[in-house]
Amino acid sequence: MADTAGQNTGGRRDDEWSLCLQTVAQNQDREEFAKLFKHFAPLIKAFALNGSALAAAHAEELVQEVMIKVWQKATAYNPHKAAASTWIYTIARNCRTDMYRRLQKFDTPISADDIWPEEESDEMFVAVQQKRDATRIREMLLELPHEQCQILMKVYMEGKSHSEVAEELDLPLGTVKSRVRLAMKKLQLTAER
Amino acid sequence: MANYHPDTRLLNEYSSGTLALAQSVCVSLHLNYCEQCRRSHQRLQQLGSALFEDLAPQQVDDSLLRTVMGRLDDEPEPLSYKSTSSEEDNCPPLIQRLMKGDYSDLEWKKLSSQVRVSRLRTGDVDNEFALYHINAGASIPKHTHKGTELTLVLEGAFSDEEGRYEAGDFVIRDAEQQHTPTATQERDCICIGVLDAPIKFTDWKYRMVNPFLKLQAS
Repeated sequence: MADTAGQNTGGRRDDEWSLCLQTVAQNQDREEFAKLFKHFAPLIKAFALNGSALAAAHAEELVQEVMIKVWQKATAYNPHKAAASTWIYTIARNCRTDMYRRLQKFDTPISADDIWPEEESDEMFVAVQQKRDATRIREMLLELPHEQCQILMKVYMEGKSHSEVAEELDLPLGTVKSRVRLAMKKLQLTAER
Repeated sequence: MANYHPDTRLLNEYSSGTLALAQSVCVSLHLNYCEQCRRSHQRLQQLGSALFEDLAPQQVDDSLLRTVMGRLDDEPEPLSYKSTSSEEDNCPPLIQRLMKGDYSDLEWKKLSSQVRVSRLRTGDVDNEFALYHINAGASIPKHTHKGTELTLVLEGAFSDEEGRYEAGDFVIRDAEQQHTPTATQERDCICIGVLDAPIKFTDWKYRMVNPFLKLQAS
């Protein structure tokens, strides 16, 4: 099984998938692509099932759509800018958002790729910084109190707004906001405002 | 360099994909101007990715892998819209996408003799997305909001009771915060306003307009 390799060491695992993705890009290597599929498809399916009822009902469709995009866009992947997992996650987020709007018959001239521009900075130190951030975030996430982590899960994986989370957990909106702010501070994610 | 930014809630909802479309467009436009928020957004995506990797993997049948392998040679979908880098480079591509042509081709409605508004269709039926053109030195009459008003300055500058805002600045006003945005004297101000509920003029001269300020989200 692909997912037993380097499960505990974030850095090594990232590099492994980055290499895999680069091989897919350079050689249109289908065997390497199948490895990526076996690792990421179950996560993308979980991501779909965690989302809205609409996304959950179309989970396998989302898996297909995301993995085909991964194949088609692989040459655009730059290992200096992001870990393979982050790159694939953003594709999954974009596809889930677009799919939801499509299923809701949202008539819009804007797609998710327009809303979240790809990072264009080529500065090397930024790239190094980003990798360090990714490892640190993963480590610190483990130390986050459950009540903060739970809210981040609902926002990022279940795709719920802060108000929806407040309603669901029967908490005042202010409490949800302040827990997110506390989490940001612990994870050192956003500038203090 | 922008001095006013989206708050933590907005940035998190934007990066995670939970923010309403019209509001996301507004945050995305701010990112064009703001290195600091671009970095925050990158880090929030890494947070999303870390949570994604921690999900409990769900069983995927081999048949799905075969289906996908069979579709790898399909024609790729056409690439998404990219800026055609027109000479009109003070008009961001995302806005160009929402309007057909130039600022001057838009259908403007007069809000007062000095303030014009043009509503753009984003497909978001809960939020009104509009461009405001305020003549140099003119004001939008004092008003309050039932919901949240997001403003992003595109050209010129305006000030209100709490500060002065220039191109790229992102201003959040919540319900019951009363303000009177006034364009600076030097030039006209163009900004985007995203509303999730109608605004309400508090000045007696303009109150009669209130019943006509229905939200026009589309």
